[in-house]
Amino acid sequence: MSENTITTTPETASLWQRFNNSHLLQSFKKDKVAIVSFTILMLFIGTAILAPLLAPFDPYDPNTIDIMDSELPPVWQEDSADKFLLGTDAQGRDLLSTILYGMRTSLLIGICAVLLQCFLGIIVGLCAGYFGGRIDSFLMRIADIQLSFSTLMVAIVVLAVFQASFGSELYAKLALFMLILVIGIAEWPQYARTIRASVLAEKHKEYVDAARVMGFRSSRIMLHHILPNTLSPLLVISTVQIANAIISEASLSFLGLGMPVSQPSLGSLISSGFEYIFSGSWWISAIPGIVLVVLVMVINLLGDWLRDVLNPKLYKD
Amino acid sequence: MSFLQVKNLEVTFNLRSRPLKALQDISFDLERGERLGIVGESGAGKSVAAFAILNLISRPGKISAGEVLLDGQDLSKLSSKEMRKIRGNKVAMIFQDPMMTLNPVFTIGDQMIECLKAHRKISTSNAKKIAIQKLKQVQIPSPETRIDQYPHELSGGMKQRIIIAIALLMDPALIIADEPTTALDVTIQAEIMELLLELCKSNHVALILITHDLGVVSHVTQKTLVMYAGRIIEQGPTNEIINDAQHPYTQGLINALPQQTLPGEKLNQIRGTMPSLQDVPKGCAFNPRCDFVLDACTQQRPEFTQSGGCSVACHMVQAMKAAERGQDTDE
Amino acid sequence: MSNNDSSILQVTSLHKHFDISGDFLDSLHFKGGKLRRKKVHVHAINGVNLEVFKGEALCVVGESGCGKSTVARTIMGLLKPSEGEICFKGQRIDNLSNSQMLPYRRKMQMIFQNPYASLNPRKTITQTLEEPVKFHNPSFSALQIKEKVAEVMLSVGVDPNWGVRFPHEFSGGQRQRISIARALTVEPEFIVADEPISALDVSIQAQVLNLMMDTQQERNLTYLFITHDLAVVEHFATRVAVMYLGTVCELAVTKTLFSAPKHPYTAALMSAIPRLDGKKTSHIKLTGEVPTPINLPSGCVFHGRCPHANERCKVQIPALIHQRDGSQVACHAVEENRI
Repeated sequence: MSENTITTTPETASLWQRFNNSHLLQSFKKDKVAIVSFTILMLFIGTAILAPLLAPFDPYDPNTIDIMDSELPPVWQEDSADKFLLGTDAQGRDLLSTILYGMRTSLLIGICAVLLQCFLGIIVGLCAGYFGGRIDSFLMRIADIQLSFSTLMVAIVVLAVFQASFGSELYAKLALFMLILVIGIAEWPQYARTIRASVLAEKHKEYVDAARVMGFRSSRIMLHHILPNTLSPLLVISTVQIANAIISEASLSFLGLGMPVSQPSLGSLISSGFEYIFSGSWWISAIPGIVLVVLVMVINLLGDWLRDVLNPKLYKD
Repeated sequence: MSFLQVKNLEVTFNLRSRPLKALQDISFDLERGERLGIVGESGAGKSVAAFAILNLISRPGKISAGEVLLDGQDLSKLSSKEMRKIRGNKVAMIFQDPMMTLNPVFTIGDQMIECLKAHRKISTSNAKKIAIQKLKQVQIPSPETRIDQYPHELSGGMKQRIIIAIALLMDPALIIADEPTTALDVTIQAEIMELLLELCKSNHVALILITHDLGVVSHVTQKTLVMYAGRIIEQGPTNEIINDAQHPYTQGLINALPQQTLPGEKLNQIRGTMPSLQDVPKGCAFNPRCDFVLDACTQQRPEFTQSGGCSVACHMVQAMKAAERGQDTDE
Repeated sequence: MSNNDSSILQVTSLHKHFDISGDFLDSLHFKGGKLRRKKVHVHAINGVNLEVFKGEALCVVGESGCGKSTVARTIMGLLKPSEGEICFKGQRIDNLSNSQMLPYRRKMQMIFQNPYASLNPRKTITQTLEEPVKFHNPSFSALQIKEKVAEVMLSVGVDPNWGVRFPHEFSGGQRQRISIARALTVEPEFIVADEPISALDVSIQAQVLNLMMDTQQERNLTYLFITHDLAVVEHFATRVAVMYLGTVCELAVTKTLFSAPKHPYTAALMSAIPRLDGKKTSHIKLTGEVPTPINLPSGCVFHGRCPHANERCKVQIPALIHQRDGSQVACHAVEENRI
């Protein structure tokens, strides 16, 4: 080796060691809010995945539901039954089991809708940012037009029309799918704008020029080189968007346009129990409501923490 | 007593991992009207030194030891209210990038008048008159129209002149210039440095010039100190440092300049890089890159030795001087 | 006279302007009672002729705004010329499509100014270096790729074991070495270096410059080196082109340029270099401000700041004329023997 060579040997750290030493993990360990939020979220996700194993009853099975069991209060109140920990709803379904399955549905819709938004937004944002000019103007106008329609309004119109045209039976089968589609398509401009802003910043950096000088195709440069560098803001808005999607679905279900009664989500549970609040059976709406609030809050808190951690200006080492 | 006396100044940054000493044992004197150059590469701590003098080090850093005596008053111990009276008034600072230093949403006049009004009771019209006068001093053509312009309407060279004018507004006794011409072109650089030199001479203003450019230092300053990894390694009269540098690092810096080698020949490089402040080698921080390493260099930090008019922190120089003295006593 | 065998790059009558009028809506404005569309152009390059010969190091110097970086980027195909031609070994390359350019990408490579932005922060060094090897040599086996990457890393003085690391773990000088390694992976003949050492410390500049000189000898490279640092130019260049506001004012062999600069701008530039010898060289002050490339002055672009300008200079653009000592100067005063 010439006298030019750097000869000090590096510590070859394995992936696990790198992660252990990384800024992300270190600041996570120090932030109590992040730790608590993450734990609660993992708890929710875990129970949602294991719902069939954990739930004492299957709320979808009509054989296990007895109308005589309806409107039983939670165990800490009088007149309750021990087998129904959180009470029952108007149909006699165990609230605990219904909440577990409902959370499953809510999380599924939230995450899938966001994946769809992400996918559409990335494609549009990358093209708009990288190619610029007329393509950029055109795509961003479409995004602007889309943004001027409120998500909920579009969702209501689409779902109402669908329900009216195809009847409630078909609707019940496709509800999950439709919700994911509608919420997914309604909110892609958020992602497109964020990605476009990042792409515009990265486009002028010399490593992109170097890739062009090497002869790589535009698609390769966009996907392999630029996209990985735009992921930080994506991650941050994704957490917020998941929370928003869950709330949107809950709102739609509350209005009767979301999940059908036979496949409840947290929102539809709140909706179906609403009329019973004043007649005394508060737990049918309140308990799923509390679960929803906590779920959305921990997702938002994690999103806040992630934004601070990934912000290079606040990152002072 | 000197106008500015910095004694054993130390700046520590309290980081997550462990405390980091950005500056250690910085001591120098400056008389009224004297011009000092602080030379070093990036990471040496020159800007930290400038900020420390003006007590501008913000969390997680702080001045952990030492004194900065300006006319006998210790700046490092003053409250923020008292420091505000000094900054922009008795001591002015010029930063590196003129594009960042001027606020883009205010006119030049607004910014200059704001400075004047912050330090004394003065009417806007009088402040404007003083501002125009200062703009003339820095040779801005047609200052009466320029004063109402916005920074983006001016070139880099003009902006830097305006910043010098702002620095001179309160007739300070000391100007600290942190790499004032790095962001400028060569021809503009020469003009700005000449202007600064003229103004300092005519107004008897002391100057601390921070730069990595030895050529500029040789033209403008009377004394120089060379920094490496947060410490001073050599200081003395500028012409002695340039023409007869003692410390191997200073010699290396001067020899690495393209002017010192014949065209086409390999340049004299210093191997390796400056260590990061978290990984400073034991003993003399320069020892892994030095061609004259002695045993002591890896064990003990060198003390300052007087060699000619310069103070050098180097074991080899110390050993040479001791040998010379030994020879003298023999004879 | 260009010897066709040894001429590697020819730039002929190159013009490049950028349209900064903005959107359709932005460019509309009222003038004289009517709605008009205003087009604003930045004239970055205004008629540049250059030739680079095999084995030489041609340095293009000038201050910010003179268009030297734009010339570099246009030569490499990152920008399309508005007018003029660029030929590599006699073949025209400025009008080729991306796929047609591929074979030339192996022969011409580029090194950039900012070491902190030249490497993809999300890729390890190995990934960054392997990608061009794989792309241009699809038939290489994994072992061959690995060997090639190790070879270029060693040749720039970076331990191949460090390939697993990310760019942010390296210093500026090391990153610049890795950028040079990347350019060398395709075994080019011609390298355009756009201010490769400006962002580095003095002692590191020496290291990287030495590396570039060594590499040139080992691999028989030709350089087009863009810089504003005349000290580096004096040391490194075989020939020098001085640019001002998008035109070449003087083109000469290094020794000639430094000992006898002819163009008034070149002379002013030389006098502004701070020298270590402490001699107070009388620095030629240029009057006036640097004009913007948006509103180009008529005639000679330098006439507004030139102490020797006459009426002809205000009207007629001077051409590059060969002088007796082999240099080329674009100046009416020189042509008329006034200086």
